[in-house]
Amino acid sequence: MTRKNVYIAGAGILSPLGTGLEATEQALRENRSGIAPLTVFSIQHPPPLPAAQVRDLPDSAFPRTHTLAIAAALQAMGDNKQAPDAVILGTTTGGILNTEQLLAEEEQNPEKYKYHGLSTVAETIAEQLHCTGKALTISTACSSGAVAISLALKMLQAGKAEWILAGGADSLCHLTYFGFHSLQLVDPKGSRPFDKNRQGMSVGEGAALLLLTTTKPKKPLGQLLGAGLSCDAYHAAAPHPEGKGAYRAMQTALDNACLTIDDIDYISLHGTGTPDNDRAESKAVRDLFPAPPSLSSIKGATGHGLAASGAIEAVVAAIAIKKGFLPANTGYSKADPELHLSPLVQPVTHSSSAALSNSFGFGGNNGCLVIGRSDSFAAKQPILQSTPLTILGSSCITGAGNTEESMGSLILGKPMGGMLDLDAISKNLSTRKIRRLKRLSRLTLSLAAAAYENSGLEHPPESVFMGTGWGALSETYDFLKKLRDTEEQFPSPIDFVGSVHNSAAGQVAIMFGATGANITASGGDYSFEQAVLAADTMIDDTSAPAFVLSADEGHAQFSPLFDPSIRAGAPLSDGGGGFCLCRKAIPGKVGLQIPFYHSGAASGAIDALVEALGGTDRLQREIGLTLIGIPAASMKMGEQQLNKFLARTTGSIPVLRYRELTGEFASASAVAAVMAVHFLETGLFPPIVASQDNGVSSLVDKKILVLGLGTTVTAMEFGLQ
Amino acid sequence: MDKLTEELKTRLIEILNLTDVTPEEIDENEQLVGGELGIDSIDVLEMVVMVEKEYGVVINNKEIGEKVFSTLAALADYIRTNSPKLSS
Repeated sequence: MTRKNVYIAGAGILSPLGTGLEATEQALRENRSGIAPLTVFSIQHPPPLPAAQVRDLPDSAFPRTHTLAIAAALQAMGDNKQAPDAVILGTTTGGILNTEQLLAEEEQNPEKYKYHGLSTVAETIAEQLHCTGKALTISTACSSGAVAISLALKMLQAGKAEWILAGGADSLCHLTYFGFHSLQLVDPKGSRPFDKNRQGMSVGEGAALLLLTTTKPKKPLGQLLGAGLSCDAYHAAAPHPEGKGAYRAMQTALDNACLTIDDIDYISLHGTGTPDNDRAESKAVRDLFPAPPSLSSIKGATGHGLAASGAIEAVVAAIAIKKGFLPANTGYSKADPELHLSPLVQPVTHSSSAALSNSFGFGGNNGCLVIGRSDSFAAKQPILQSTPLTILGSSCITGAGNTEESMGSLILGKPMGGMLDLDAISKNLSTRKIRRLKRLSRLTLSLAAAAYENSGLEHPPESVFMGTGWGALSETYDFLKKLRDTEEQFPSPIDFVGSVHNSAAGQVAIMFGATGANITASGGDYSFEQAVLAADTMIDDTSAPAFVLSADEGHAQFSPLFDPSIRAGAPLSDGGGGFCLCRKAIPGKVGLQIPFYHSGAASGAIDALVEALGGTDRLQREIGLTLIGIPAASMKMGEQQLNKFLARTTGSIPVLRYRELTGEFASASAVAAVMAVHFLETGLFPPIVASQDNGVSSLVDKKILVLGLGTTVTAMEFGLQ
Repeated sequence: MDKLTEELKTRLIEILNLTDVTPEEIDENEQLVGGELGIDSIDVLEMVVMVEKEYGVVINNKEIGEKVFSTLAALADYIRTNSPKLSS
């Protein structure tokens, strides 16, 4: 199949420059900066540092990130009444600004924290727009928005959706304001990217969403031509000094767009204003473009909107091409002789056909987009996804222990809940290398190391697809606690760097030298499924093997407050699963498909599920066992869905409720996936499966379903090839 | 060895979680950043926070920082010279 063209049908934007396309364009044409001393919240030791705040935010019952994102979504939808097939949002903050306030008040009611989770932003947008399809959340630090758009592009190019709303949103909060300050990355005079005297960024906020479609609109804003992802695999926070990861992402984006450097008329630089970023990015740009086109970073005007920035800059690039002007590098006045780069000092009138937009983030996470004038370019590229994903190696960690210990418990039908102690998790890792890492990163590295060992691969995987429902709870808790305990004076920079949701995946990349795509999805109880979807979208026949990992940590204070399936005082469970996989059929290995991901609240979700799985007859014929995951918080809804599913399949397929064995944690479905692989590879299964009325006697020639029920309905199918 | 250097070694092991190192094994005259201990720029910032919190010495300038954190002995010297807490 040939890939489809992707058009920008609409865009919404809220930034410190204003609300909407027109206000944004006007501010950029006037070379106006939106950076000013922080007022979004008060701080204990004034004066506040310059920050980049959105003004005139609409009143809303939602947290600030949600409010920004919803407003951008409604703008982007414009007059389009039809709901998009999917919403893909990049965010790093979710509802944390509210959470910080609640924690300061020592609020113990979990209901108040219901919008804490990153996934609630995309889910709220989907709900408001009546979108019942995929609502996915990408959290790759400052490249989140660009990575979310990249994922949407690949899904659309492959014909997996027709309309996707994609972008990024973040609000200012204590975590980012004090976090970047603790890293000495904030310029006390306001961000001035690429200037000789630059001293850092201005931490900011905003939201931008693009309505992308393969159906050519009457008046498209432009075309999304290509995307490129890479990982530095170098350091948790600092960019590769030579800009090698940035170079690869830009090159990959051009290749994906089927363009050469000569086709690019403008580069929207990531240009945060930090000495290291701007130096590394300059090197990467000069290496790829011997004579660079016009270029600028708009972060001297917009500040750094973190997850929103890649989406804000994609929208600005589209406006610039459509309206025939290029924005200035606001704040820049003195050339840095070390950089050999001449950004635009004033906005200029300029007709462009294509622009490259750079976004880089912590964890060395890079995402570049190519945006073009509509119909200026056409590429006839084939989609090379001829077989399902194949699992080469797997691993898990549960309260019962590592893979062998967990599967040993499982086969005996013993519970696997609880939490391993930190030393047991870390026993296959080098003490020196993990000294700064807390529970989630250690779980993830341990899973990756064990899956790689189990795969027998000669070379480690090159890309990483990670799921985590709640991210690095230990680091987030410790950072905020120390911030409070020291009256906002001495939070830990190490904790801040470790608190980003993609820190674990970044560590995996460093440990294995994985320089390819590096995507962290944070979709609550369906985070593993979102990581599998990302892998299934990004990996093609020519890709090197990849890691797909999912893990969550149990945290005494945060887990009962944030995860509605965990009751206060109940024993905690945690762990996750890891896989090495590729897209190549290998006889004797287990194949993995993810044919269904849909809102559970929608009527007809189970009928649609059965249809997507090939109908009742096929299910009865081919499925030997169904592993069911219903998070405790949505038990009632999940039970109704399960009853309906059982009725549709006349109860003929045995069922194993895996959360009863693993305990409640967001990444439990990754452990279920490892169970499925184990059952198929060994032919063994626990007595509770065999003893049912319709009990399993053999799984030979049968497939296993892993169903997620509740607020989202998901299906993954595992079968020997 | 003086008390401050001794104290800094212990604090370093604690805040950077160098669980496999004892204070006796740290040579205060050895290169601190990028040396044997595997200390990098984020560790330096963690030490900056500790030095400001416990000794009242602010280090927010890269040039000074590079000099101060060249060795543990240099750090101890800088704290001794600049700390209001130690001189009082």
